[in-house]
Amino acid sequence: MVTLVSYIIVSAALLGIGIYGLSTKRNALRILFAVEIIVNAANLNFAAFTRYMNPPQVTGQILVFYSVGAAAMEAAVGLALILLAFRLNGTIDVRKLNKLKG
Amino acid sequence: MVTLGISPDISFVILTAVTLIGAIMALQAKELIYGAVALGLSFIGVAGFFVILDAPYLAMLQIAVYVGAIVILILFTIMLVRREQSETVERSENAEGNLGLWLAGLLALSIAGVAALAGPNLSVEPAAGNLPVSDLGPALAIQYPAPLIILALLISAALIGGLVLAKVER
Repeated sequence: MVTLVSYIIVSAALLGIGIYGLSTKRNALRILFAVEIIVNAANLNFAAFTRYMNPPQVTGQILVFYSVGAAAMEAAVGLALILLAFRLNGTIDVRKLNKLKG
Repeated sequence: MVTLGISPDISFVILTAVTLIGAIMALQAKELIYGAVALGLSFIGVAGFFVILDAPYLAMLQIAVYVGAIVILILFTIMLVRREQSETVERSENAEGNLGLWLAGLLALSIAGVAALAGPNLSVEPAAGNLPVSDLGPALAIQYPAPLIILALLISAALIGGLVLAKVER
């Protein structure tokens, strides 16, 4: 039986996978993957909660619409930053990108 | 609910497997490029969830923006960043992997536990009757026009910023 709780559990699992990637990976591209996974977990939650509202509401779908737009923007800027960091430093290992450290 | 002739429980289980395995593979695959493809698979799984949640427009948007644009952008970036680079980076990350795994597992388990405890108090049955896709347009244009305009401004600013950042100085 699929209930709202099933969707919350899937979304929590996605969030956990994303946090794991965010906290342990050193490759900047993998960190971007993890961010996208977390954004997807949030979108899934929005869609699930708005579906289980009574009477049905459109608000959650609108929020997912904006969230997808913001995520696309964030990916474009993030990838440009990664390319720039690679061109300037020759590495995308985030532990080695420490020029700002005093 | 769109069922495509499969019972909702079975499609939910299949979509869960596709989404979670895709997400894990995206982070753990040896080759970065396979990771990007697995990430696309995970996005398609989430699009499937949107379909069974009666949000076909969101499923279309998810596939067009995530699988069509973001994954392709990531693939191009992987090809621009040399390959041996990404392989040498990932060798020495096992040591701190355990702590991250425990933290993330604890977080996910606590959220899932709270949701399961609160389950009886949530409305667990989907509301009767679904919204037609044509309700989205008026809601976007009449109810919430300001966020739409701000989002458009932000996207154009971000794209110009991305172009400036990635420009090669000659």
